This record gives sequence, structure tokens and C-alpha cells, in this order.
Amino acid sequence: MNSYVLQAQDLAVHYGGVKALDGVGITLEKGQIHGLIGPNGAGKSTVIDAITGRRKLTRGTVLLDGEDVSHMGAVERRMRGLSRSFQRTSIFGGMAVRRQVELASYKMGVADSAGDAGAVLKELDLDRLGQTIAEDLGYGEQRRLDLALALVGRPKLLMLDEPMAGLSVQESQDLARHLKALTARWEVSVLLVEHDMDVVFGISDVVTVFELGRVIASGEPASVRANPRVREAYLGSAA
Amino acid sequence: MSLVRTGALSLLALGGGAAIMQWTTSSSLLGMLTQAVIYAIFALGVGVLLKQNGLVSFGHALYFGAAGYGMGIILALDWMPAELAILLILLAIGVLAFLIGLVIVRVPGIAFGMLTLAIGQMVYLLATRARGLTGGADGLSIHWPATLFGFPQAMLLKPATLFMIAWSVMVLVTFVLLWLLRTRFGAITEAIRDNEERARFIGITTTLPRAAVYALSAMVTGVACLLSALNTGFVSPENLHWSVSAITLLMVVIGGFKTALGPIVGAIIYVLFKDFLGAYATHSMAIFGAALIVVIVFSPDGIVGGVQRLLKGERPTKRTLQ
Repeated sequence: MNSYVLQAQDLAVHYGGVKALDGVGITLEKGQIHGLIGPNGAGKSTVIDAITGRRKLTRGTVLLDGEDVSHMGAVERRMRGLSRSFQRTSIFGGMAVRRQVELASYKMGVADSAGDAGAVLKELDLDRLGQTIAEDLGYGEQRRLDLALALVGRPKLLMLDEPMAGLSVQESQDLARHLKALTARWEVSVLLVEHDMDVVFGISDVVTVFELGRVIASGEPASVRANPRVREAYLGSAA
Repeated sequence: MSLVRTGALSLLALGGGAAIMQWTTSSSLLGMLTQAVIYAIFALGVGVLLKQNGLVSFGHALYFGAAGYGMGIILALDWMPAELAILLILLAIGVLAFLIGLVIVRVPGIAFGMLTLAIGQMVYLLATRARGLTGGADGLSIHWPATLFGFPQAMLLKPATLFMIAWSVMVLVTFVLLWLLRTRFGAITEAIRDNEERARFIGITTTLPRAAVYALSAMVTGVACLLSALNTGFVSPENLHWSVSAITLLMVVIGGFKTALGPIVGAIIYVLFKDFLGAYATHSMAIFGAALIVVIVFSPDGIVGGVQRLLKGERPTKRTLQ
């Protein structure tokens, strides 16, 4: 039986002569957290955009649980369990928190969408803010709401694009710990793009390093951290 | 607001309408109030599009004229009973608007407004030129049958009855819209309006609901048009002109589009104030232009939004300004 939730093969996204991604392969096993790191412009967010259908692939295939979803739209991919958050907080600003999370759950076909939304909100400590209009929330709360929208319906694969951006060190560490526990409990696999190295190396099972649209190293955090090419290209000699 | 509370307020509003009808002895005042209520329904149509889709239409007069022309032509050719024609026309407007909506709601912002303007003006010109069918610039008389829904025409056309019919329809339309916007459909359209990309990434197909809101908005406008056709027995290309759309938009903005009450208040204020101006009515657009500036600067969510905030003792928030 195929134990891979995600098999992205030979992904390429070209804009004219610019190769944002060029022949990238990523696999993700069930329950794994897979961290993607690299300098700005290395292609980390483009990988998420390509896998979720936000960016058109120049070539390559995306298999979700063995099914080819490469030619599907964003809606179809989401319905098959491929979920994401965004680099810039992406919520429904004019809607109450609970209303939007419940809607997201309903759209995922959850029979008890109110119960599911309630559980997710409780997990992310947003349940007391259910009736608050989203744009009145604080920044950290909005980031958690973004995560809640992605988590409802228990996706097979959750892709997080810099979920810790703008959070304090303490908030980042708390969210990372919580994320690790939650995804393990709900059996959600995670592809994580994050600049906070402590978070990525702290919670990832596998880390992949990008440079100029290509993978330069991939493996367990300790081996990646020790890789001389990674140290030279990204972490710097002092790392 | 709960549905029960909305229902209770609707019943109260119906009672209020009956009281106005009872206490207003002047036929001309009742006629003016009827016109204001008809515009209020039109404004509800334009307002729901703005509230749920975040789209501004400069071409809704298309539906304000089309329903009247449809009715006039069907009755002139004696194709079917007027009662059936009313239902079919509203249905046809809904289907037509949905099909148009499937194409134009994909276009964002000002481009959408320009498209609605272009389509509206195209139909306006068509109505002006097709004299044989529409009566051209002279317009078209609508010959209502002797009885409608079992009621004699003479009774229906009394100013008090007409006012009460229009008022009841306005209350019913408001109730239906409020109910609909509380349903899952309302939540879906709100989500798409707020963040279309995010909506797709929670599994929402975004074009169909937006087209459905456009169709709903057109049907509400069609209802207003049919009431206007009953009120005046006449429809002309002027009903289709873009300036009618613009005036209705003005009513919506002045009243406030974020609540159901806003467009109604805006329409009633506009019609009554225009009459109040009397000899100065020719300058009404200048006066309303100034009023629009004042409202946008001091209460961007309209008169109703401003009053609500005053009652709660709140200051405008960033949400108010959007």
C-alpha cells in the first residue's frame, strides 16, 4: 500500500525565462511534518502554490494519496484533502469567526460542521472569539483563524506558508508545539514553509532545502543541518 | 437578528404601513409614498448586489425597464393571463440575469460597473429604436386586465390600495432577503465577497453564487418594475436609462448598503426630499450630490449605519470605511 500522502514529481514553474521552480521532487509520508527552507526567492512558496493549483505547472505531476491531481482546480484539490494557509493572513474579514470556520467545515462535507468548527476553534483557543468579526481580531488570532480554516474537515495534507510570520518568539514556539501535537493526533501531514529555523528543525521529520528553484538537500533535520552545501548556501558558516 | 425577530419586525412594519395608509388622506401624498416604496424595492435589489457581491451596478435600470416592457408586450398580444405573466417575467429576468452574471461577475471592480453600464445602455437604445415592439421613445402603455389575482382593477388602482400593495411587497422582499442572507447561501456569498481566493481554498466554487446574487438582485428590481408598471400603467425607455441606475445607487449609498433598512431609507428620503424641494427640484441632483459627499465623509456606511453607531455610542471603525 502507498504510504505517501504526497508525491510531487519534477515540478517546474517557469515565467518566461525565469525558472521559479525547476525539476523539484517532494514526497511526504502519512503523519510526517516536512519543512521547506531556503533563502528568499528560492521557490518555497511557489512549491506550495504549484501543489495547491494556485500556480500553473510548466511540467510535473502532483499525486495526492496516489491520485493525480495535477490538472485539477483549487476547489477539487481542497475537496480531496489538500489544504493550505497563506503567507499573508487570508481570512474572511467581514464575517464572524465561528460562521466562517463552520462554513469551511460544511464545504468539506463534514456532517456535523458546527461540532467540527467548535473542536477546531477550541484547539486553537479561538472558541471564546466565535462571534467576533474576523478583522477585529488581533494579528496572532487572525493567524490562528487562517490555520483553523485550513484545518477543518481534517485534511490529508496541510501546507503552511510561513505560519509563524509576525508572531513573537514565544507565540511561535507555542504554536509550533501545538501544531506538532495536533497534526499527530488528527493524522494530518504537514508541508511547512517557515523562516524560523528553530521551529523548522524543532518539529520537522524531514527538511528540504531550496536554492534558486532547485532542491539542494533533503533528509532528517540533523543531516541537513550538517550538510556543508546547506551551511554554505543558506545557514551560513556560523550555523 | 433571529428569524423570529425579523418576522415580528416584518409584521410590525406591515402594521405601520396600514397605519400610514389609514392616516394619509391626501391621494397625491399616497401616490408619492407609493413611488418612494417602489424605489425602495429597486434600491434593495441594487443594495443586495453591493452588500453580498461587493459589486456596483450602473445598469440595473435594465431590469427596471425590461419587466415592464415584457408585461406590456405580453398583455398587448394577449399571450397568457397577467398573473402567469408576472411569474414568468420574474423567472425570465432571473434566468437572463444569471446567464449574464455568469460572464460579468468574473470581472472585478470598476470594469464590472462599466460592463453593466454597457449592457444597460445597449438595451436602452434597442428599446428606443424598436418602435414596432416597444413604442420607441413614446413608451408603451400597459393594459392591465379588469381583474388581477381576483381583485377588480378599479380597486387595485386606488392610491391607498396601491400603496399598501407596494408596502407589503417591500416588507416581504426585505424579509426574504434577510432570511436568505442568514442561510448557508448568504455565508458563501459573504465569504466570496471578502476573499475570493480563500473561498476557493475552503472548497467554494465562486462564480455560481456570485451569478446567483446578481440574478436575485435583478429579480428584486423586476418586482419593483412590475409595481411601477401597475402604478403608472406605462413603461418608457427612460426606465432603462443609466441615470435611473445611478440615482438608485445614490439612494443605496446615502441610506447605507450594509443593512436592509439602508436602501429603503435612502430611497424614501430621496423621493420625499425631491418633492419637498418643490420649485427647486430641478437642482435636486446638485443638492443630493452635496448630501452624498457629506454622507461619504462623515458616515461612509450611510445614514442608517451612522444612526446605529450613534445609538451605540461608537466611532467609525476601519470596517465602516470599507
